[in-house]
Amino acid sequence: MRRLALLALIGMLAVAVMAISCGGPKEVPEEVPVETAPPVEEDTTPAEEPAPPPPAPKLQETQFQTVYFDFDKYNLRDDAKASLDHNFGLLQEFPDVIVKIEGHCDERGTVEYNLSLGEKRAKSSMDYLVSLGIDPGRISIISYGKERPVDQGHNEEAWAKNRRSEFKIISQ
Amino acid sequence: MSLRVRLALVIGFFLFYSTASAQMGDEVRNIFFDTISGEYQATPIGVDDMRYIGNRYITHDDSVLMDYATRIVRSDLDFYADFELIPIDSFYLKTYEINELTVLGWRRLGADILVRLEAEFPGDKLRVRWRLFDTVRQQQFSKGVLERTKSQWRVLGHEIANEMVHTLTGEEGIFLTKVVYCREVGGGKELFLADYDGANERQLTSTGSINISPFFSPDRDEIYFTSYMGGDPQLYRINIGNREIKKVAAYSGIVAAPAVSPDGNKIACVLTKDGNSEIYVLDLSGRIIKRLTRHRSIDTAPTWSPDGRMIAFSSDRTGSPQIYLMDSDGLNVRRLTYQGGYNDSPIWSSRGERITFVSRTKYGRFDLASIDTSGHDYRILTEVGHNENPHFSPDGKHIVFSSTRLGPKDIFTMDITGRNQRRLTRVGKCSNPNWGPIRK
Repeated sequence: MRRLALLALIGMLAVAVMAISCGGPKEVPEEVPVETAPPVEEDTTPAEEPAPPPPAPKLQETQFQTVYFDFDKYNLRDDAKASLDHNFGLLQEFPDVIVKIEGHCDERGTVEYNLSLGEKRAKSSMDYLVSLGIDPGRISIISYGKERPVDQGHNEEAWAKNRRSEFKIISQ
Repeated sequence: MSLRVRLALVIGFFLFYSTASAQMGDEVRNIFFDTISGEYQATPIGVDDMRYIGNRYITHDDSVLMDYATRIVRSDLDFYADFELIPIDSFYLKTYEINELTVLGWRRLGADILVRLEAEFPGDKLRVRWRLFDTVRQQQFSKGVLERTKSQWRVLGHEIANEMVHTLTGEEGIFLTKVVYCREVGGGKELFLADYDGANERQLTSTGSINISPFFSPDRDEIYFTSYMGGDPQLYRINIGNREIKKVAAYSGIVAAPAVSPDGNKIACVLTKDGNSEIYVLDLSGRIIKRLTRHRSIDTAPTWSPDGRMIAFSSDRTGSPQIYLMDSDGLNVRRLTYQGGYNDSPIWSSRGERITFVSRTKYGRFDLASIDTSGHDYRILTEVGHNENPHFSPDGKHIVFSSTRLGPKDIFTMDITGRNQRRLTRVGKCSNPNWGPIRK
């Protein structure tokens, strides 16, 4: 997938470079008086659209770090804060990016309680970013409770991976 | 040993273990109790093979039908908390060189009550006369007739069993009720509906999204549930007949854990629009009637008392989830459970005096437990696997729940004593059951 995206990006850049090199300078002859015979080919060419600017580097969702939690907890551990500090840097670097934070839980405990717990996890992640200065209008939250585990296992290793809040890019 | 025999042994062992091992004396007192009359005592009951009483030649298909219908009656009465089914003892028959049991014979096998079923086949119908005998006095004390088209032998069997329960206990039988639950399909969870014994399962929703927490309306053919079909988890209801889905309530954040009030006019549920999960009461069109909790901790899983005057819920206000009670206007909040560090998912018995819930017990296992509403008499009802989301049958004598006791997560039922455990689904990935009302 990533390789495909990279190829597409290179392709787009190549097209853009070609457009600049071909289209750019050829607008000049239009100011030449009518009497002088213009080169035929160039006269029939329709006025080219302005070349698109080279695309700005985009933020990838995978650049965000997932934030992990303890069982039945939604307070931020030190490593969770470090992850959020990293994500804060990304949000500052890309001020147009709008994200949704998904709160998730491990499989233990009931559906309803975990739905509320997941929301608390997303909310504590959001609150931390807002306290650092991110506009709350750029962040929304959703809880999936225990409905979407990343690891289907039934052991502490799997549970630890599943107790998390994840960042999803809504627009940029 | 064939696979089937081995499987039966394994299942048998688990069921035995889950009920019997609890008896053998943990610090928690055991599960055998009757909330109605003190000590638990099931009446032993025998059901004779159905006999044809017409005067024509009986076809093979008709005799199979009689066998099927009898099995339904037996299975219903066997499951029912008040009865203990006495099987026909083929060794006894052989010893006495007889083909069928007399009323006295049933008495000798231990049955206090005998059910006799007599079939006729008028047209395309199956007509069954039932007779109830007191085996002590050796007297018939009740009888009746029921009739259905042959294809509805299953319904007829349940109707006969319902009449037995009504005649013997004075209560409405639950054998024609339905159970709804969630099953993982693709990346989502869809609602499925089945008979109370797991038969006739059908898929209700096909939204391709996550649908959870189904809850039957007590007086309409509708089920309320939380769904992600519109993106955020909001409250919907589905008409069981035409499967039409309507959005009931949409608020910022989540709308979760719906519980329809016993009178069918209000919904207690969880909203997080205030930045934290709080319990609200909504009307049936989703408008807020009242906010009940104000606490910065998690408050969730509301359940109504049968008279609608109180609500039990779970809250982690002391740091871990525990069960609390409050009046249905949100006043008089008091803590009910102190046992263990994790008590959640309360459900109020329709008989009123007990609350069943999920309790984290030894070795981090999630078990079903129950406690009376004064906070006394804590009992653990399960002893194998993780057990979740209990809900009472409409008669308050049985519980449906999800469990991983046999590996995959499936739906099970049992009576309130923890006995008569039954597996309803066999495919795994099933959760979140709710037991529907008795339809008149």
